[in-house]
Order: sequence, then C-alpha cells, then structure tokens
Amino acid sequence: MYNGISAEERGVPAVVLINEGFIEDARSAASSRAMPGIRFVPITVPPESTVMEVIEKGTLEAIEAIIKAAIMPLTEEERSPRPKQLEQNDRIIFRGTLDEVNRFYYQRGWTDGFPIIPPTEEKVAEMLTGTELPADTLLGKLLPRMGKATVEKIAINAVMAGALPTYMPVLIAGTRLLLNSESGFQGFCTFGVSTGSWSPFWLINGPVRKDINLNCSSGTLSPGNIANATIGRAMGLIIKNIGGIRKGIEDMGVMGNPGKYTMVMGENEEESPWEPLHTEYGFTRDESSIMLTFPQSYIQHFPPANDDSGILHSVTDNIVPGMVYSIIFPPLHAKTLAHDGWTKKEIREFICEYARVPAARQRRSIGQSNPKLWKGKIDAREGDTVPIIQDPRVIRIVVAGGPGSFIAHAIGGGPTPGKAEIQKIELPSNWDTLVKKYRNIVPNHVRY
Amino acid sequence: MEKNEPLYETLNPWADADPISPRGLTAERLADLNGKKIGLFHIWKRASRPILEVLERELKKRYPSASFSWYSESQLNTPEIESVNHKKFEDWLKELDTVFFAYGD
Repeated sequence: MYNGISAEERGVPAVVLINEGFIEDARSAASSRAMPGIRFVPITVPPESTVMEVIEKGTLEAIEAIIKAAIMPLTEEERSPRPKQLEQNDRIIFRGTLDEVNRFYYQRGWTDGFPIIPPTEEKVAEMLTGTELPADTLLGKLLPRMGKATVEKIAINAVMAGALPTYMPVLIAGTRLLLNSESGFQGFCTFGVSTGSWSPFWLINGPVRKDINLNCSSGTLSPGNIANATIGRAMGLIIKNIGGIRKGIEDMGVMGNPGKYTMVMGENEEESPWEPLHTEYGFTRDESSIMLTFPQSYIQHFPPANDDSGILHSVTDNIVPGMVYSIIFPPLHAKTLAHDGWTKKEIREFICEYARVPAARQRRSIGQSNPKLWKGKIDAREGDTVPIIQDPRVIRIVVAGGPGSFIAHAIGGGPTPGKAEIQKIELPSNWDTLVKKYRNIVPNHVRY
Repeated sequence: MEKNEPLYETLNPWADADPISPRGLTAERLADLNGKKIGLFHIWKRASRPILEVLERELKKRYPSASFSWYSESQLNTPEIESVNHKKFEDWLKELDTVFFAYGD
C-alpha cells in the first residue's frame, strides 16, 4: 500500500493488488498514511504461491476489476474523502462490575483474551509510583497507528496486565526500545504485523532482575512468576493499545504465536561463567538493560553427550534457517564449555562454520534460486554444503534456565546488529524503597 | 449484578493519536491505456512477479500499443521511497502513466 501511496503522491495513478485475506489490513494501512481512497483490488492468489495454475486463475478472475481500477474516473469521494469522525477517547471509559469491565475491554479489542485487572485511578496511581516521570510525559508515537505513548497509558496497560509498580522502569525502557526500532524489514512494526507471527522476546540483564524477582532459573519461560508473566503481557498490550497492532487487522500472523502472550527471560548471570550478555553492548554489570528480538520459532534439544563436542554439535544440528538466533545454554553446559576454554565469540564462530545444509536446500522462500557458492561465483555441485548463518553477530549466547541438559533456541527476526537492540533500564531515585515494598510478593508453594 | 458487588471506574488504555486529515487522489485515471507506459512493481513475495506477468500479458492483448516497465523492490518490507534506492524509484515513477503494485499481504 505504501508504495502505491508514494506513486499517487507523485501524480502517477496506482492500483495495488492484494490478497483477499488482507482487505482490513490494507484499509488500515491506507488510512494510517492518510490516503484511504487508494485503489486496491483483492485477488485470491496466496502471496507465497508458486503454482502457476493458481496464479493464472486468480489473476484472470480479477482482471476486469484490475483494469477498471486503473481506468475508471475518480469519484468525488476519492478526490475529497470525508474526514473520519474524531475518536472519542475519554480518559475514564467505563464503570461496572469486574465481569462487566472485563467484557467491555475484551469487546473493545483491548485485551489479550485473559481477564484483566481493572485500571482504576487508584491502581494506575499506584503503578505510577514506579517512575518519577510525570504521567503526561510523552515518550513518543508508536507505529503503526502513531499512538501517543505516555507514561500514563503505559501504566494503564501495566495495571491491566497485573504488573507491579516495580516493573514500570522495565516497561518504559521496553517502550523506548520499540520507539527506537529501526525502520523497514528489521523493525518491530514489520515483525508485529507480519504473517510470520514473530513474537517479542524480552531479555533482561542486570541487578533489576533480582529487585523484581524475575525468574532467570528453572522454568524461566514457564508460567508462575509475576514479573516474567506480566512484563511480556503488558508490552503486548502496549503494542496493541498504543501502537494499534491488532490480530487479524494489522497483525496478520498466519498461525499466531503463544510467545505473544509473554516471552520474558532474565539471564542467569549468577550461574554464567561468562560476562553477562549486555556487557557485550557496552553496559557494565551494575547497569540493567532490556533487549528485544522476535523469534518465530522456539525449540529445545538434548545433547547426545555432555562434553563440548556433544553440546556444540547438538547446537549446530538444530540450527534452522532464521535471521537472529538466541542460543540459550543452561548453566551446566555453559560451565562445561567455559571450562574447556570456549568463549562466546568462539561458539558463535563454530556455529557459523558448522551449521550447514546442502546447497540445494538453501532457503528459496525469498526468491533465492539454488545458490551459487562463494559470493555467487561458482555453481554448487551435488554434495556441496553452505553455512546457514553467515554473520556471527546475529547469534546471541545467553545463559538461563535451571539444572538440566536442555538447550533452547529462539529463532526468528530481530534488529540488524548495531541498530536499536538494547535499552538501558533507568531506575527512579526511590528505587530501594519501592523494591522493599514489593520484594516479598513471591510464590510460597505447599510441599507435598 | 450481585448486590454489593463493587463497581470499578476504569481508565482508557487506547492511546490518543493526532487526527490525520485524509488526502484525496489527484492523479487522473487514463481512459485508454493504449500508447501509455505502464509500470509493474513487484515485491519479494513469490507470487508477485508471476501475477504481474499474467497482468502484463492480458493488458498487451487489450492495449497492444502500451509499453511496460518493471521494477523490483530493493529492500524487503521497506517502502521503496524509504529505501536506499528511493531516487531510482522516483525517477522510474516519473516515466510512467500508470502503475500496478503486487502483491500485498
């Protein structure tokens, strides 16, 4: 749509062909760029289709509509579209019982399907004690809707998610990271709306992890800890209610992704033999940070042997095509590798060298034909292999999880190395007092 | 509603956004594509180019004196006007009388 709009802006009549499943998405995109009348024609061809019979049939079925869109004179509405009615965006939006609040918010499309905590004035005021920034502070306008990300709106969505006030610095940093996201293919907005169902994966480093009881150990990605559960949940609500990315309208993920409910991990720095991940980006150990990638897939595997060879071959055997990789070692394997002299840099280089596929299997989905070797100079022969990963910078080595042997890979998209990947978590001056107030909210399980 | 069930007055999570004044289309449509230069812009999605090839073929039948000019997206999922080749794109558009884009998802 955006390319069509560019053409119209430059005086060239445009027709945009879209898949019929994306009509609402197209309308939203056109409206967001203030050109609701741009002419688009829905056709039945699946966007990734390679079956000529299907492409031919779908295109021919729409041919008259396509030509009509090109030659029909402009209507008055197309020349002068009526302005949309201004959104009534009252600050206090509802009054009702707990069930009524939940139903109302759900029916407005403001939740993730789970029950929410009603964001009353009192609850939001308590949430705002987690930051010294005034409630009306505007951090920026979040794509694609350009919704104003104020501290208050962040706090409202945080209350809904069930977050504690001590998570506000993390949520503010997370929002800043979204706002700083690079434009284009590697940006958060692309991943948020894509058919690929890329889930935001938030990785937190530094002392804040302990302050907020973030689980970095056993079951760090499993349910059961408020911080892990609600930080991701709140960020998802922020992306939806401030950024305006909604399932089936802007978020066109084909399958969806359970990680979109929450995917938050703290690095297990205490049990890692290496320097924490964020120090690779210029942070000190004493600083806290949040990092964002967009895995589409998450796998776990069990190395055939617990020595460095078994561990690293298990990793390379389980590398699948992607763009950005978080390779998550449990402390057990991290310590083995470090003991055997492996640095994170060497591990990345090993993975790049030895995670290979036959050249004929190289991913064709983005139009690559059977690849040539060595910068495209030599034809691949039967039996030649190529590396799956070319650039070691797209591999993050993380240490997390509890006792045990399973290694995890979170594979998918993420920022271009060197672009906005990580954000400092700034703490308010009364942080110690705040932490003391909420520190003891932890599960106490009955033993049986 | 049960008696004595508490009532909650709740705040709006939906962010404010500055109103966008919609812009109308200004480029007049061509009643006849004969003798015109038609642009065909395809993105990286696999069906994009083949769809436009079918379209080109059909347009040639109907408008035998139309000419065609192809353009391929240079950066994945990036509006071409924001890409490294934005100047090339703008120069290409200047040559055209109308343009078809494929394929949106």
